[in-house]
Formats: sequence, C-alpha cells, structure tokens
Amino acid sequence: MMKLFGITFKNRVFIASGVFGFGLKYKKVSNRVGAIFTKGITLEPRKGNAPPRVFETASGLINWVGLENPGVEKFCKDILPKMKKLRTRIFVNVAGSEVIDYERIVERIGGQVDGFELNISCPNVKKGGVAFGQDPKIAASVVARARTKTKLPLIVKLTPNFCDPLRIAKVCIGAGADGISLINTLYGMVYDIERKKPLITGGLSGPAIKPFALYCVNRLRGLGVPIIGMGGIMTGQDAYEFLLAGASAVAIGSAILRDPYAPLQIIKELKKYPPPPSSPSERGRIKEGEKKEYK
Amino acid sequence: MVRRVTIKKKEWFTDDIFGLEIYLPDIDPQPGQFFQVRVSTTYDPFLNRPISVASYKGGTMLMIIRVLGRGTKILSQKEAGEDLRVLGPFGKGLRVKKKKSLLIAGGIGVAPLLFLAQKMHGKRIEFDFVYGAKREKDLIKKSHILQIAKHAIFVTEQDRGKMTVLGALDMLDVESYDIAYACGPKTMLIELQKLNLPIPVYAFCEDFLGCGCGLCLGCAIMYKGEYKRICEDGPVFELKGISFDE
Ligand SMILES: Cc1cc2nc3c(=O)[nH]c(=O)nc-3n(C[C@H](O)[C@H](O)[C@H](O)COP(=O)(O)OP(=O)(O)OC[C@H]3O[C@@H](n4cnc5c(N)ncnc54)[C@H](O)[C@@H]3O)c2cc1C
Ligand SMILES: Cc1cc2nc3c(=O)[nH]c(=O)nc-3n(C[C@H](O)[C@H](O)[C@H](O)COP(=O)(O)O)c2cc1C
Ligand code: FES
Repeated sequence: MMKLFGITFKNRVFIASGVFGFGLKYKKVSNRVGAIFTKGITLEPRKGNAPPRVFETASGLINWVGLENPGVEKFCKDILPKMKKLRTRIFVNVAGSEVIDYERIVERIGGQVDGFELNISCPNVKKGGVAFGQDPKIAASVVARARTKTKLPLIVKLTPNFCDPLRIAKVCIGAGADGISLINTLYGMVYDIERKKPLITGGLSGPAIKPFALYCVNRLRGLGVPIIGMGGIMTGQDAYEFLLAGASAVAIGSAILRDPYAPLQIIKELKKYPPPPSSPSERGRIKEGEKKEYK
Repeated sequence: MVRRVTIKKKEWFTDDIFGLEIYLPDIDPQPGQFFQVRVSTTYDPFLNRPISVASYKGGTMLMIIRVLGRGTKILSQKEAGEDLRVLGPFGKGLRVKKKKSLLIAGGIGVAPLLFLAQKMHGKRIEFDFVYGAKREKDLIKKSHILQIAKHAIFVTEQDRGKMTVLGALDMLDVESYDIAYACGPKTMLIELQKLNLPIPVYAFCEDFLGCGCGLCLGCAIMYKGEYKRICEDGPVFELKGISFDE
C-alpha cells in the first residue's frame, strides 16, 4: 500500500496507457497492479490509422496506432461499468484534438474514476499539428480548463519531443496539475529503402528509450508533485531505478507486448529492493476533504 | 502466461523451412490459432513472433516456420533440448464445419491449413487440397497431404508454364465445394479475392503483430468497413469482407 494524491494504491506499479486496452482482458493482472491508465479516450470515436501500426526496431518498437478508441460516450456507457468492477485504481487517459476536448471529456466522465491523465502529446489540430505539450501556454490552458471540471487527481502526461519537459511540467503544475507522468513515446521513423519513403512514422517505446526516460524523470524530481515514471521498464530493477530517479510510481508499457503478465513479475521483483527514499511530494496536493477512499 | 517448454524435435523440411515440436499437454488449440513465440531473452529482437499451430496430437504441437528475417533466423538456430518460451494459444479458433471443403495454400501458408486438414480428417470431413510453392522442393508434407486429402493438387512456378495456386483452381469445379479456406502471401489473397469464387472463402491472415493478444491495437485489418484485430478477431476472416488497401 502507498498513498499518492491523497488516495491509496496497492503498489507502485501501474499500467501505461495504450498497451492494456481497458484492463478487461487479463483481469488477474489488472486486479494486482496499483493503477491502470486506459487507452487514450477522445471526444468522438476514432477508427485509428491504416496498417502497419507497429514496427519492431532495435530493442523496442514504433507504433502508429492513432488513438483508436470508441469515444467518450461509448466508453462511459459500455466500458466504464465493466472497468469499475476491477479492483484497481482507474485513470482515464484523455486525448484531444482541440483544447476544449480535454475539459469536455473530463466533465463527461465526472467522478466515475479515480483520476485523469491528460495526454498532451497529441497533435493539436488547430495549431497545425504541433503537440499541445510542446507549447507551454497551450499546455497550461489545457490543464487549467480541465482543472475547473474535476477535483480528482489530474496527472499530465508529457511528451519529451522537441521541448523541455521541465518547463512544461512547471507551467502545468502552476495551472493545477496534481502529478506528472512521463515519458510518452519518442518520435521515430523507419525507412523503406525500396520504395524510398518512410514505412512508418510514429512513437518509439521500449528498452531503447529507457536511459532517456530515466534522465527526464530525474530532471523533473523535486517539483513537489508525484511523478509517474515510464519508458522501457522491463524488470523490477528498471522500476527501482525510476523510483530512485524521483518517480513515486512507475508505469509498464511495451513490456506488456512481450508478456501481458510482465507487471506481476515486476511487482514481485521490486519487492526485493528497499523502499525508495520517500519524497515529500507523496503527501500530494489533494485536500483532506476531497479524499476518495479505496474501494 | 509465458510458458517455458523444451523443444522435443527440430526438423528441416527445406533449406529455409523448419519444424519445432514442443509438448503442451493442457491445451485444446483450434485451426487458425497461433502462439506468440519469444525470439530472444534479451530485448533485441523485442517482440514475440506469431506462429500457427500446424499440428497438435496427444499434447505434442508442431510449428512450421519459414526463415524470413531476423527473428525466424534466430528461431531456426534453436535445437532439440533447448528452451523455448511461448504464449498462447491466441486468435479465434475456427469451428470446423461439416462441409465439403477446399483448402488453398500458398508457400508457408500451408502451416495452419495442415492443422485444419488434420482436424477435418479426424472428423471425417471431405476436403481437397491445392498447394503451391515457388519450387518443387518448397512443397512440404506432400505425402501427408496426399494421405488425408481426398484429392490434392501441387503446383510450382517451375512446372507447367509457371502454374500458380490460383491457376490451378481453373482445373477444379469450384462450385462443387461448400466452402474454401486459404492461406498464403497477401498478394495471393488479393488475387483470390478478385476471382470472386462462388463459394464462401475464409482467409487466414498473416501480418506483423505487436502483442498478439488484443491489447495494443497494433494489428489492424479493414473488415466490413471497420478495423478489426487480426490477433483477436481473426486471424481467419471471410475473404470478401477484407479491404486490403486500407
Ligand atoms: C496469425 C499468424 C500466424 C503465422 N503463422 C506462421 C507460421 O505458422 N509459420 C511461419 O513461418 N510464419 C507464420 N507467420 C508469419 C511470421 O510471424 C513472420 O514471418 C515472422 O514474424 C517474421 O519474423 P522475422 O523476425 O523473421 O522477420 P522480420 O525481421 O520481423 O521481418 C522481415 C522483414 O519484413 C519487413 N517488416 C517487418 N516488420 C514489418 C511491418 N510491421 N510492416 C511491414 N514490413 C515489415 C522488414 O523489412 C523486415 O526486414 C504468422 C503470422 C501471423 C500473424
Ligand atoms: C502500442 C502503444 C500504444 C500507446 N497508446 C498510448 C495512448 O493511447 N496514450 C498515451 O498517452 N500513451 C500511449 N502510449 C505510450 C505509453 O503509454 C508509454 O508512455 C510509452 O510507450 C513509454 O513506455 P514503454 O517504453 O514502457 O512502452 C502507447 C504506447 C504503445 C507502445
Ligand atoms: S497485435 Fe496487439 S492487438 Fe493485435
């Protein structure tokens, strides 16, 4: 057990967004991790990108799934009722194509979950496809506006692409974010030498990005809010390194593509290490009265 | 759960197609189902490789693998007695129907169809088998197919004016079958779709997967107007519903 944002979690091992659907398939795993971050939810349904959507690269992969999801309405009607039966914390990964999308999704879902993770790595349609998270002003406005719609923990998931996550983290916290998660995937590309054009352009993940992810987490330590660290975590030792670098919890992503039960193994392995030095940020920013007790 | 099994037997069928036999007594795989095979205990190559069940009898499972790239090359270097890590079975199994069937295999696409044939043979369902490959020596398990199929036609691009599997269909009265099952390269499936056969055709689709078990949404196939998961909704789909270019 541990506490973040004023709520308790079974452990510090969470499941990252996009690699576990809605946690309804491997329930044994879902019920034993600290929290699940859902696949990114958008306002309208998205059918996702044309294949190929995944391409293996050195010690990792590039994905170009394209936020395929049923949209917030269907998510609330058909999926959330099932997710609520899981014995874990549920954070909805919120994705938008415009600033207003985020607050509308947060508002629609309301108090039915344990918190939100704002994925500001998506391309902002109105700003010509630049990610919300690359522009401090836009990032802050996404957070501030979502903040007005919920008292639940609001985590901001940062992109490390072409911007300094430290700068973005500071403005997001200023705008009311309760925590930071990072890193989202790195830009990546594979070339097709026969057709002389890219075979896939997307997000790079897996062990290949771990050193950079660790660096980013370490760079953001001490900001006073919990950090959920992720990027290439495959073992208990990897997870422990993130905790030492300043993360309060870790999220498992690509490891699940190799083994859906990977989080359980990581939880087991992590027990071998002494508890990480607790950070003051773990006291959280949620005020007593707003606490949501563990079911 | 990743299972650690020992390779019971390894056999080379051609210079680039080999078989691995493992013992997995507690499963009941169905045709079309596959296993995610761990290639490396290091992280490179990172992903597991999907390999179909080619035969399953008394707990012994056979996988037939063609060396294509890095992962299958590494698998081909494994020998009997060594460990193999597998997850599965995954995919929707095919419920074998008591119908007169035509099996159409191109190249390594024969692997899952051999298992389908084995099941049909066990249930005394009549089927014919058309099987093509580039060269005569690439045709594997010929005598086995001859034993269990009612009729079998083998074609190679070397003989009879470069006959292809689909060319061989001309020699058959396709309408006399109730159903057909096809597995082979994408180009073959696309050509087969264009033939617009007068009977339902089910295609076993092979592609590059991520997780292989419905979690990552990495394996999309446009089927009847929406993206489906190859690994979970398939890998067998009715051929006419597939849009190969989306
Ligand atoms: C359900 C299913 C069942 C299968 N059953 C069998 C079977 O029984 N026997 C068998 O031999 N094979 C089977 N396959 C195919 C087998 O999984 C692949 O041949 C294998 O994964 C190739 O791995 P590799 O490492 O050898 O090739 P890789 O090195 O991964 O790929 C070879 C080449 O293909 C290209 N490539 C790689 N990834 C992609 C991508 N995402 N998009 C486009 N091009 C890419 C690259 O240029 C690469 O050099 C099956 C596939 C599926 C989906
Ligand atoms: C197939 C796939 C889909 C993903 N989908 C999402 C998503 O919908 N929203 C999101 O914020 N991150 C998504 N991610 C990013 C992961 O949550 C994670 O931040 C990243 O992969 C780094 O961790 P890893 O190296 O352990 O995978 C996805 C990653 C992968 C591999
Ligand atoms: S490969 Fe992950 S969903 Fe099919």
